Amino acid sequence: MRDTKRRLTLQVALPLVGVIIGVLLIVGPFIAGLARSLMLWVGEDPQFSLANFAWLFTDRRIHQAALNSLICGFGAMSLSLMLGTSLAWIVSRTDVPGRELFKTLNLIPFFFSPYVGAIGWIFLVAPYSGLMQTSIGSFTGESIEGPNIYSLAGVIWILSLFYTPYVYLFVISPLQRMDAAFEDAARVHGASFWTTIRLITLPLLQPGLLSAALIVFVTSAGLFDVPLALTATKGIRTMPTEVFALVRYPSDLGRAAAFGILVTVITIALTLWQRAHLSKRRYEIVSGKGYKPRVTEIRGAARVLALTVEIVFLTTSVVLPVLALILVALSPLWTGRSNPSNATLANFSYVLFDYSLTRQAILNSLFLAVTGATLGVTISGLQSYYLQRGRGRFKGLVDALLALPLGIPGIVLSLFFLIFAIRTPLYGTLAILLIAYVARFFPFATRTISAMLSAIHPELEESARANGASWTQTMRHILLPLLRPALIAAWIMLFIIFIRELGASILLYASGTETISIAMLLLSENSVGYVAALALIQLVLLLGGFTLFRLTKVSAIQ
Amino acid sequence: MIRQGAPDSFVTIRNVTKKFGAYTALDDLTFSVREGGTLALLGPSGCGKTTMLRCLAGLETPERGFISIAGKTVFDSAAGVNLNPEDRGLGVVFQSYAVWPHMSVIDNVAFPLRVRGVSAPERRKRAMEILDIVGLAGFAERSATQLSGGQQQRVAVARALVHSPSLVLFDEALSNLDAALREQMRLELKGLQDKLGFTALYVTHDQGEALGLAETIVLMNVGRIDTSGSARDVFMSHQTSFAARFFGLNVLEGAPRRKAFIAFQREHAQLRTPGAPTDNGIVLPGIVRTRSFQGLVDEYAIDLDQGALIRALDGSTGFEPGVRVDVVVDEHNLFLLDR
Repeated sequence: MRDTKRRLTLQVALPLVGVIIGVLLIVGPFIAGLARSLMLWVGEDPQFSLANFAWLFTDRRIHQAALNSLICGFGAMSLSLMLGTSLAWIVSRTDVPGRELFKTLNLIPFFFSPYVGAIGWIFLVAPYSGLMQTSIGSFTGESIEGPNIYSLAGVIWILSLFYTPYVYLFVISPLQRMDAAFEDAARVHGASFWTTIRLITLPLLQPGLLSAALIVFVTSAGLFDVPLALTATKGIRTMPTEVFALVRYPSDLGRAAAFGILVTVITIALTLWQRAHLSKRRYEIVSGKGYKPRVTEIRGAARVLALTVEIVFLTTSVVLPVLALILVALSPLWTGRSNPSNATLANFSYVLFDYSLTRQAILNSLFLAVTGATLGVTISGLQSYYLQRGRGRFKGLVDALLALPLGIPGIVLSLFFLIFAIRTPLYGTLAILLIAYVARFFPFATRTISAMLSAIHPELEESARANGASWTQTMRHILLPLLRPALIAAWIMLFIIFIRELGASILLYASGTETISIAMLLLSENSVGYVAALALIQLVLLLGGFTLFRLTKVSAIQ
Repeated sequence: MIRQGAPDSFVTIRNVTKKFGAYTALDDLTFSVREGGTLALLGPSGCGKTTMLRCLAGLETPERGFISIAGKTVFDSAAGVNLNPEDRGLGVVFQSYAVWPHMSVIDNVAFPLRVRGVSAPERRKRAMEILDIVGLAGFAERSATQLSGGQQQRVAVARALVHSPSLVLFDEALSNLDAALREQMRLELKGLQDKLGFTALYVTHDQGEALGLAETIVLMNVGRIDTSGSARDVFMSHQTSFAARFFGLNVLEGAPRRKAFIAFQREHAQLRTPGAPTDNGIVLPGIVRTRSFQGLVDEYAIDLDQGALIRALDGSTGFEPGVRVDVVVDEHNLFLLDR
């Protein structure tokens, strides 16, 4: 009897293990990065110094990169807010034909890789040699330059296409569940359709819009692969490509770390500000009493416009880039023109079977995705149990801490891991990639599982305990079966993210531990056929994940 | 302008039909409201009363029919007229109140003036006046989310009245309030109407609310008008078995005197020991199923030998469940109904 209060039971210990691993995965590399950023080597001895930070504020290259990242972030945020909100409104509030189908199709770019999208768009509109230019050129007989995809505008365009579904996901649920009487009340008291949208609908959506805007801004500004594919070779650098450059040529980990720490601090500040802001403005827009959301009947020009927006979005984000990739992958030698008569599967068979780099890369990616998703879901499940069922005093703090990696750019986190592991045997192994992947992305899984766990009433478990089941039995027979949809959804989500990840891998891979995305990057200089074939193989894996995801019917963002 | 509809009719609804797919929600509805009058659309849920209100407000579009408000045609399927909700100049109090959570109380109330281009000082003045009338003057700067249900209701009423609309629609306006508050609000609404002189249309499933608020009642049954008339007539002289059932009467099928139904109030069903002589009335033998204490009287559920279950309120005698009784109803308390 004495010790019952203090005994460390499995029920307490196991979730704590998940929390501790999570905290170590976040705090460990951050401390390594922070320490490295404050060190300066004078001869053989490291010294404490703020020189790296001082340099940040004086170097014009850094200023330019930061400015370019801000431009990308704001550009992609504005465009995807407009596009995502419009798409969500079209499918949830109008009678546009095919709206149920569009509801699913609009999510596809969410599962695609922006990097692959960027490569597809290069094939489409590269100056003089893109498919669009050559197709139009074959009619007019002129050689056409076309839009410059190798620019910040090109980066913003690709990012917007692929982050529009984030906004869409955040907005569609409140749009579908909002009490129609809010808008009806505005209309009957004299507000026109557009006035109602401006004064009522958009302000009511504000919490969701704000969350989406922040995520898109932070992710766009911190995404490594699209600027790498489009602008890095043209001498236009953004924050993540600048970090890459600082690590590579010439290597200056101290300055890179200082930059990374600054970015991390800004990201954390933004996230905390958003949390505080949202907690002040939490109101219910679902009354449960009202009618179903009002469906606007659109006719004539409005109907054509709505359908056009839908079709242009799906064509530019999915159909056109995939089509370009297929044409390139089937051509023995890409010349900017496709010739169906000599289409061949040689590129596929080469990257799948013959070329050791790509063969190994596919295996590596699959291994990382399967193992990483399993590990990630395991520790996230434990963390969720702690956050939703545990009694810890520091729950709020732990909750905030565990959500931090959500906004930290992948390349920054992998830089910290690099600093952490560079002198250990971990360096150059698949294990360090695995750890970095899980560290960067487990919060997504924790959010999904936590959301579902909070919806499961504890009485369901308590009644099992009251009926004589032990904690382990209760977990096995009651809670885990109830949680299964969320666990599966979280697993698939991590699988998809890991299959396509580049930013978190780029600094940590070594010969033999390349992933699919790394292989695409390595081959992009001279073997576009292999790149296209690899990209398509990756898309097939992602599409498989997407299909499974739709079947489990649990939303990624709740 | 040619005024269509009856000469004294302020709101005219003629032959309005509304379908949702194959389901007919409103079937050829015709009624009118006089200027300054009050009408209640009464009926069980699903009878189409809220759909009628929404058609009137312009939130639903009927397939067919004619609607005019204050001499202005707002909907006419034959002439292809269908005014937008914002062009009908109404005030509406919604069942869920629909008080906007992102605005303060005064911003909610001033909204109809704001979208009509009234200047900021002027609309503030008028919003304060109406808030004063509904007793919320001290709450003007509060966020709408900080209000109780009853206070939100007042905000919704104030918002519906601030622009002095000639017609105000109330959709189950009182049904979310608790009993005491509902009674108080009912009296206040009557007072407001006397003071401001608007025409009112209430939609409700609650007969007490309809009787207390409206001079005219339209009782609806699956998209059609079952009975309409003055509140007193509709309540006192039942014309149909639907109306009788809706108002809580006992209704028996295949009753005597070649009528389709007979109906009687629970209070008018007297219980007697079987075989006791009766001078003027019908006798319905049966068995007591339950007896429940209701204060001054007991409520009985009785299985009649003819197969129906009826309810009776009787304070004088004590019959236990399982006992045989005669239910006696005086001739002058019987309603003989054709349908």
